[in-house]
This record gives sequence, structure tokens and C-alpha cells, in this order.
Amino acid sequence: SVKESLSCRIQQYSTLSFLTKPFCLCIFILQTMPFKHKNTRRIEGLDSNVWVEFTKVAADPSIVNLGQGLPDISPPSYVKEELAKAAAVDRLNQYTRGFGHPLLVKALSQIYERVCGRKIDPLTDILVTVGGYGSLFSTVQALIEEGDEVIIIEPFFDCYEPMVKMAGAKPVFIPLRNKNDGNSASSADWVLDPTELANKFNSKTKAIILNTPHNPIGKVFTREELQVIADLCIKHDTLCISDEVYEWLVYKGNKHIKIATLPGMWERTITIGSAGKTYSVTGWKLGWSIGPQHLIKHLQVVQQNTLYTCPTPLQEALAQAFWIDYKRMDDPDCYFYSLSRELEGKRDRMAQLLREVGLKPVIPDGGYFMIVDVSTLNVDLSNAEENQPYDYKFVKWMITSKKLSAIPLSTFCGPETKVQFEKYIRFCFIKKDSTLDAAEVILKNWNKQIA
Amino acid sequence: AKMSRPVQARRLEGVDKNIWVEFVKLATTYATVNLGQGFPDFPPPDFLREAFVRAVGGEDHMLHQYTRAFGHPPLVKILAQLFGKLLGQELDPLANVMVTVGAYQALYCCFQALVDEGDEVIIIEPFFDCYEPMVKMAGGTPVFVPLRPKAPKAGQLMSSADWQLDPAELASKFGKRTKAVVLNSPNNPLGKVFGRGELELIAELCVKHDALCISDEVYEWLVYDGKEHVRIASLPGMWDRTVSIGSAGKTFSVTGWKVGWTVGPPRLLQHLRTVHQNSVYHCATAAQEAVAQGFCRELERLGQADSYFVRLARELQGKRDRLVQSLDAAGMKPIVPEGTYFLVADISAFASDVPDVPGSNEPYDSRFAKWMVKNKGLAAIPLSAFYSGPHKNDYSRFIRFCFAKEEATLKAANDILQKWKREKAGP
Repeated sequence: SVKESLSCRIQQYSTLSFLTKPFCLCIFILQTMPFKHKNTRRIEGLDSNVWVEFTKVAADPSIVNLGQGLPDISPPSYVKEELAKAAAVDRLNQYTRGFGHPLLVKALSQIYERVCGRKIDPLTDILVTVGGYGSLFSTVQALIEEGDEVIIIEPFFDCYEPMVKMAGAKPVFIPLRNKNDGNSASSADWVLDPTELANKFNSKTKAIILNTPHNPIGKVFTREELQVIADLCIKHDTLCISDEVYEWLVYKGNKHIKIATLPGMWERTITIGSAGKTYSVTGWKLGWSIGPQHLIKHLQVVQQNTLYTCPTPLQEALAQAFWIDYKRMDDPDCYFYSLSRELEGKRDRMAQLLREVGLKPVIPDGGYFMIVDVSTLNVDLSNAEENQPYDYKFVKWMITSKKLSAIPLSTFCGPETKVQFEKYIRFCFIKKDSTLDAAEVILKNWNKQIA
Repeated sequence: AKMSRPVQARRLEGVDKNIWVEFVKLATTYATVNLGQGFPDFPPPDFLREAFVRAVGGEDHMLHQYTRAFGHPPLVKILAQLFGKLLGQELDPLANVMVTVGAYQALYCCFQALVDEGDEVIIIEPFFDCYEPMVKMAGGTPVFVPLRPKAPKAGQLMSSADWQLDPAELASKFGKRTKAVVLNSPNNPLGKVFGRGELELIAELCVKHDALCISDEVYEWLVYDGKEHVRIASLPGMWDRTVSIGSAGKTFSVTGWKVGWTVGPPRLLQHLRTVHQNSVYHCATAAQEAVAQGFCRELERLGQADSYFVRLARELQGKRDRLVQSLDAAGMKPIVPEGTYFLVADISAFASDVPDVPGSNEPYDSRFAKWMVKNKGLAAIPLSAFYSGPHKNDYSRFIRFCFAKEEATLKAANDILQKWKREKAGP
């Protein structure tokens, strides 16, 4: 506090010699003035962050953590080995190319050329960033500004809103709605209303942010659904920021489709990917933005004025891992497919455990999250804190009394839709068997404890 | 409506040019000896590499997953311990320290968190080139004040200490709009290590005008000839208004790891955290774990002969002296740096090789450096890269060399320089 620091200063400079120095006297006087430096306007109101609160709580090892989206399974051993190998090469511990390590952008261009069926230039069409998060940031800073509107589909990965605001733009929300009213069995039941969506577009709309497979619901947008969005983007000359970090995690009967491959979309879309989600290495914080040169070049300008370059050994190791899997993209053992199969089993197990408690989980078609309506449990939360949404109160209660953590869904909504989603909480199931076993014990005993 | 205006945001106006993109490409294409971009060509210390290999291959595979967003706990803990000691402050690892993606991202967070449209930021020339575009991108106005060279004593080589601020000129740059001053000591590119008196001058003005200080101290361990690196945050009145920036890349010779940090009071760091959590959010885990272990080892040996910081500074001082000798013998006039691993030399004696082009937009030293890498295979960076637009021709006969290089590299540079000198002398 100002008072504290003032008394410290007085104590420090209480000698006569101090008082004979004019500038020290100046400090003495000025310490009594209030500190005028506050935060810049661009970050006003953006200081709170749900993860800071919930990761602290879940750090307690006695809690079974199905909250934050991070795997507790091991990354594949060859991925870890490549990183150790990279650190052994002297020059790989020094700066590499700012927009992306050459070997890595080459690997990315080959993989995505194959997936997209079009030529992708590694030097002009790709930017390597600090995670999918860093890609979102570079894209928004490069292309969004004051006066722009950006459409965000609710529920949304929570950083979209503050990033759009930090760029000075206005977020415009549109919710996914449960088309089956009360009864939602699948993430596919959650859809956009085409008329409602069309009404959100206007001459100020700079971009729409798409997330498929979707966090938190797990929805995999179909070609038809993507076409509706694409038609609007083209009609209104709008950009599309397509967050596809979970692109490989799609379950049987579903196909991940890249909106950038639809006619008229390549030239207006930035597609974002993540090493963390692809290889179960969230702590590597490497991601990429892929798109046409006339857009990527602006993201590259942001890069050279923000962090300049991403870590070298991580990029080298990722490139080597990609070569291994690129060569077996026709083989079911390719990690992109084997991880998905492994997670489908965990998804089904998670769903079963929730049903045992009498809950009806929304089965995701993709991603590694599952949402469920917990209001049906009728847990008494009257003792809980004041003004918090229902799901916040429920999760805090569940952490304390059941030693199980999840994330409240209202975290992922704009102010108007919180009421619609506050019955839901989100579980992460990219967890090793022993974690799911521990969750099983809690869920199987759930009703016993209440009784 | 959108067709009529550019797709990119206005904040990118005027910040799209970057000298490194061009000069790194030239070096890759033409250089046989690269003394250009600032990175070591010798390996990092074994203890650090081993720490990294342990982190990535060890039992705890959770080191491949997200860690705490504002800094991996073991790292912020040891940074708080070390810098608490160095700054004479009791530091809370959670409130006083934030880890960033290199010092570069630390600088970015500072400007975004603290510089608004209309704010002025004082930058001392010559400066690490990113300060200017970062201030502009934050909507601020850079205000430049030059270090001015004094003639060295007769018969002596110029030292980076001979480049000084004029106190009256510096004072005249501070005004009502001054939000911050950027200090870089030891200074890139000159290698100047600001003395206590010089820092007190800056501090006095900061306090008088209630300005902040962004103190880029990435080369803090690389000071020579027994000179002291004084931390401005430890001066009276400065702790509350200073963010100090450091870099594992420069400290441990691992520029490719991109681990940096900010140290400062909570009321400034809280705003850096807001920017950080809305831009990159987390930094990579394994390298932070390894750097933490590296610091643990160094904290035990602080100031002792087997400290890596001490050994590195000693080795680099030797390399500095050898490069100074080579340049002097060849006829280039080196400015002996008191710190960092850069030195700047006056190439006037070689100017006849690269004739002046009257009316050219490109500063002379830039054309010289390009000619040199293409024709002599020796890469260096023109000093004009470190000056603002209107001042790029003020000191146009200087180029910057990086001497954090293996002996073989420095020898090869010497061979090029001596051969060049012989060619000029004629048959």
C-alpha cells in the first residue's frame, strides 16, 4: 500500500545526509502522491480469468481432475525422444526462422496439402505460433480492430471474447441451440438457427470464429452446416477464423471438414492447428495458422513485433514426429487415428459413468470434452456464494464434497446466454485409466453419499 | 464496405518492415563467417542440456503438459530468490515474477499493458530495433534521445563508455505525456554499461515526471573489465515504477529456448499478466523446468570461479579482445564494448570499396554490410538498423559484429579481414 511504502521509505532515508540530496527529497514528497499509472484501455476489464481460479483448486492431488483440458496420458514415446534428440544438436538451441522452423513448415505444408487437396507454400501460407492460443491472438491482432464486429458461436473457448475486445472490436454472440429441446443425446443435436445466424451478419462484420470439433460441446460441424456459414461469409465479404485444434479427434460416423476447402473460402479463412492437441503435448505450446499469403503475411508482421520466433528444439522435434506420422497417413496406426480410437473408448466409458449417476451426458462427436446437465440431480446449493451462476456453485460443491472437478459451462458464454447454459458442466476425458477409475469410484458412490 | 479498406488492422501500419528478415536471409545465402545476428555458435553448458533431457525423458511426463500460465513454479521461485537478492527486495514468486516467451515477449507485454495512445516513450539511440515498432503498435509515440560519442583519450581506442547522454538533452525529452523510458543496459548494439551516475540521472527524471522504466537487462551477466552491472530497479524511488526484463537465451546461451521473465511490483506485473493471459497464456514447460535447474546450480556458485556466469563473461571478454585486435589490425576502428557480446566498428577506412550513391534511400552502412556479406562472406549488421528513421544516417559508417562465436569462427573472420586489408594495400 502507499502508506506502507511511505513508512518504509521514511525509515530508509531518515538520515540527515539524505535530506541534503535534492532528488531524494523529491522522492519523499512524491511517494505521498497516488500512483497514476493504471492499465491501458485495451486491457480494461480483461483481467479476470476462470482458469486461474479453477486450476488452483484442482491442483490439490486428492481431487480427481476432469476439469482443465490437459491430458494426463503420456505423449507417444517417439515424440519425447525427438525432443531429447533435438536438444543434443548445438545449433538447434539457438534462434530459428521467425515465421516457423523450415523443417516444420515443410512438414505442415505436406500434411495439409494432402488433407486440403491444394498446394500450400511453407514460407508464405504458414505461421508457427505459441500454441493454438497464439495463433488466435496473432490472427485477431493482425486482422481485427476498432469498429469491427466478430461473430462468436456460444458456448465458446473462453479466450475468443477477451481477444476480440483487446483488439478494440465488438463480439456478437449466437448460441448453439438444442434442437431436441430437453432431450439431448448427442453434440449433433446442438445447431445454429440459419435465420438467426444470417441476422448477425452486417457491413461491420469482419470475421466469424468457428471452432470445429467444438470445445466444450464436441460438435463436429457437417458440410451442410459449414456451407451455411460459408455462404454468409461470401455474401458479406467476411473472414473466417477456423479453430480446428481438435481436428484429428473425431469419432466413428463423423468426418472433420475444413471450411477452407469449401468453394470461395480458402482466400478468406485462417485455419488454426495445435501440436498440443495433436500429440498430447499441451506443454509444448506450438500451434500454426494456415491460409492464403495475403492474410498470413499480416499475421507474420504481428509475430515479428510480439515474440519474433518460437522455440527451436520443440519445432524440430515436432517436425520429426510429423514426418513419422505423415509417412503412415494411410495406415490405421498413424497417431492421428490411433489417439482418436483410444479416446472414443474413454468417451464411451465416461458417458456410462455419468449415466450411472442418473445423468444424461451429451455424447460428443469429436474433441475430448463432454457436457452434462446436472440440474436434474437437485443438489442443495443454498449455502453457496451469492451471485454466482448455478454451474459455478455446483462445480465448487462437487470439488469440495465429491473431490471431483469439472468446468462450469457458463464460463464459455456471453452475458446473455449464461442462463441457458448454467445447468451444464464440462468433463475432460483425455485421462489415463487410473484417473477414470478414480472418477468411477466417486460416481458410483454418488447416490450412496447423498442418501 | 470491406473492399474499400485494407484487410489488415491499422495497428500494423508502419511496423511491417523488419531488418532481420532481410539480413538473416543474406547471411544464410552468402555468409561463410556469420557475425551478424546475435546468437552464440558454441553449445549451451552441459548442465543445462542435461537438465532439459531429464525434463523431457523423465518419469514425469506431465512436464509435456501445461504448467502455471504466469511461470512454472520452480522457475518463478528461483527467479524470485535470485533477483530478490540482487535487487535487495523480498520477492513473491507469484506476484513479482512473470515468465514470457523470451525477453521479446516481455517487452511486448510491457508496451501493451502500459502504453496507451497518446503516451510518449523515451528510447535511447542506438536501440534494439523492436522497441520502436512495439511502442507504435501500442499507439504510443517514440521520443528519441541519442548517446553521443566523445573523442577517446589520445592513442586509445574508443570505448562504449565514451558514448553518453547529454543530461540537459535527456531532461528536455521528458514531459507531461511521458509514460515510460526504455533502458537497455548493457546496451545492444554499443555494449555500453550505464554507470551508477548515469542511471541516477535517468531515475531522477523518472521520479520527477512520474514516468515508468522498462529496463531491458538481458545481457546483465556479460560485463567486462570488472565493471558493475547496476540494476536501475534498486535505485531509490525506482522499484515501484520499473519492470526489469531478463533472458535465459542470453544468460545460458540458449537463444532458441525462448524463455524470458519480468520482475517488478505487483501493481505493474498484474497488467502484464492480463496481456499475457490474453495473448499466449502459457509458455512451454520443459525448457522452464530446465532453466530453473540451471539457476539452482548457479545460485549456489554466485560470484565464484566455477559459476557459468563468471566463466562465460571471462571467455567472452577474451573473444572481445581478439576481435578488437583483428579489427584494429585490419584498419576498422572498433568501439570497445564494456558489456554484451556485440561490438561496433567504424568502417570508414574501407569505404572506398562501396562508393556513395547520392540520393539513395538506403543508409550507407546498410549498403556496405550487404556488399561485405556478398563479396567477402562476412556478415555483420549496419548500425543504422538501431536508429529511428530520421537518424539512420547520423552514424552511417558503423557496423555491428557479434563475437559470441567459437575461436575457429573468430579466426576465420580475422583471415577475411586481413586478406581484405592486404588487397586494399595493393601489390
